[in-house]
Amino acid sequence: MEKELVINGYRKSFGKSLLYTLPVFLITFVFMSGGRPDFSDPARLVALLVTFAGMNLLYFLMHYTGRTDRYRAILFIIFALSLSFTLISNIVQMRNSMSFSQSDIVECRIPFCHLVIPMMIIPAAFTKSIIFPGSIIGGFADISSMVILWLFATIALGRGFCSWGCFYGGWDDGFSRIRKKPLLKKISDSWKWMPFALLLMVMLTAAMTLVPTYCDWICPFKAVTEFEQVTDTESAIKAGIFISLFGGLVVALPVVTRKRTQCSFLCPLGAINTLSNKITPFTVKIDNEKCTKCYKCTTVCPLFALSREDVNGGRVSVFCSKCGKCVDVCPNNAIHFGIKGVPAGSFRNFSRNLFLFVSFIFISIFSAGSIINTIQSLLNFIIS
Amino acid sequence: MAESFILGLSSGSVCLVTCGMVMFPYMMARTAGAKAITADLAVFLATRFLVYALLATIVWFAGQSLLRSPVFTNYTSGFLYIVFSIMLIWYAIEKRPSKTCPAAVVAKIEKRKLVPVFLGVVNSLALCPSLLLILTKGATQATLGKSYLSFLGFFAGSSLWFLPVPAIGLVKKKNVIETVGIFATGLAGTIFIIKGILMLIR
Amino acid sequence: MKKIKIISGIIWAFMALIIILILFPGLNSFSVALSKLPFMKINPNFAGGDAAFSYVQERCTLVVRKPVFDGLLSERKHGFVQLDWRGELPDVISDTIDFDRDGGSDFVVNLKRNDAVTVINPLSDLVTGLNVSVPTSYGWTVRVGLKRE
Repeated sequence: MEKELVINGYRKSFGKSLLYTLPVFLITFVFMSGGRPDFSDPARLVALLVTFAGMNLLYFLMHYTGRTDRYRAILFIIFALSLSFTLISNIVQMRNSMSFSQSDIVECRIPFCHLVIPMMIIPAAFTKSIIFPGSIIGGFADISSMVILWLFATIALGRGFCSWGCFYGGWDDGFSRIRKKPLLKKISDSWKWMPFALLLMVMLTAAMTLVPTYCDWICPFKAVTEFEQVTDTESAIKAGIFISLFGGLVVALPVVTRKRTQCSFLCPLGAINTLSNKITPFTVKIDNEKCTKCYKCTTVCPLFALSREDVNGGRVSVFCSKCGKCVDVCPNNAIHFGIKGVPAGSFRNFSRNLFLFVSFIFISIFSAGSIINTIQSLLNFIIS
Repeated sequence: MAESFILGLSSGSVCLVTCGMVMFPYMMARTAGAKAITADLAVFLATRFLVYALLATIVWFAGQSLLRSPVFTNYTSGFLYIVFSIMLIWYAIEKRPSKTCPAAVVAKIEKRKLVPVFLGVVNSLALCPSLLLILTKGATQATLGKSYLSFLGFFAGSSLWFLPVPAIGLVKKKNVIETVGIFATGLAGTIFIIKGILMLIR
Repeated sequence: MKKIKIISGIIWAFMALIIILILFPGLNSFSVALSKLPFMKINPNFAGGDAAFSYVQERCTLVVRKPVFDGLLSERKHGFVQLDWRGELPDVISDTIDFDRDGGSDFVVNLKRNDAVTVINPLSDLVTGLNVSVPTSYGWTVRVGLKRE
């Protein structure tokens, strides 16, 4: 551990790390407490303090140890678990069940998530309406807020959204970390083009049928959020698909490959986010002068964004989600967070500091509500 | 028609990548300028359109005489959908380095003006699983008009890929288009398998 | 040129920072602004269509919505008409509906709420049968399948 810290070029002193954490400390305090903490509910206050302290500690450690992915992943995975917990508890409170019924569809009460966005585009252009039985504004997980959150984050972070904002990504990120070494090493990276094919298919089928087909037939996260009530053979087949895809792509394959296989091989929004990587200012750069072609980065990249050809060519592909795993593992500090237009090797610390600040502010505020709710519920459960 | 369009669109890219590489260099090598290429393309697409119209008529009448009972029609088409969809997925994932184009024989044709017509006929009649699926769909439609619509959707979906052909030489990553097309074909196969299963169980 | 690239890259990065900083304080106003755009409404295939007319009954109101045939580019051949009973509903409902208001009844809907049994008796060739019949927070909703003329 000590040796790792010595070779890591981004490590800062204790005082400097504290100084860098101060802006995040103030911003997260204002957003989590609304500037005025609520002292009337002790459980909520404790939950808020734990979340606030935990997040700032993680950000401090990112600067103090110079490592990014390790601490990002902790928050990212907790976010995924807490969001599912919050969503399920909200749904169960509303309906006494994790499954939604025809009544929920008829009354447009289905919570919206960002994965629906690709399917909305063509129908919105042609029919001037949204093909989802949710709430346009107001209520739990409304369409307008989710679209704005995704849009802003994607413009700022590109595919970084998939590692710093997507509340599903934490599931396969978590499972991909269970084993220390992969059991299955050779996977053709041409599978990373599958989300584009799926994007094409779901956009077309949704446009033709005016039904969000990915949600209706494919989404593996139905298994940990909500799903259609099983009332006939068709809904049973759908439930079978959801569970199989969750078991296969979110649990089993990440465990044996140490890759985020759902994000790499299935997610159609991931394909759009990949394209948005072209506009975001932040990127990951390879300093050819320092790179010794050890290819450790290609082995650890969870999203097949770095091939040997990419390393030899001195560039990271558009599939990069800026998780920081390659940056952490590089023994020569040849890979670093960068800004487009700035040559590799220049402004390394500045680029990292700015990127971490932007992405951490996003994930911490976005995730705070569900993490606080989860801790509060657990505390209430323990107390009762 | 929507399903047929999606099927045509998903398999059209593979069709373009496998056949386009054989056909269009030949066509373009002999033509002078974009106008001539566009004319060749128009003849090629018109030929495909006519062949599909002919196929729609033949399979619908064949379907009418062979598959009269609606229950039988449902079961037969459900079963055929599943079989041909599995073939389509196999066709997509098969690890042959490059799929051969049935129109490769084009090099042997001497008469210049017949080339796009010949290419159109061969391309339309290449018995790929997508065509088998659309033949099944056409045969089991209630009216001849619906059979035409199915083939029209398939024609429109697959033809979209051929429209930018004069510019295809400019595309840098043809292998990406091919890979995405192969996956899309596999997914289209999966959709039709589910459709086949639903037809059998409903 | 190199300097211009560096400066524009850094300016864009700071703009990204501003985008994230204004996102959360402005989320509500941005969402409201987005929700006012013309395409931000739920498709009638899910929402059930606009209300066409209503029958005020003793203790409840029956709202008949406009028939929905919406497709991507044009109307579909098959659609539905949605009926909403709002208020205090009797256990057994039997209503005769003329959804297109042409003076002729189109179907009779018989609903036994306690048994959740709904029967549609078509009186017109355009009516194909029952699509959906569910209890709702405001009463009960039925969707009756239709063919386009």
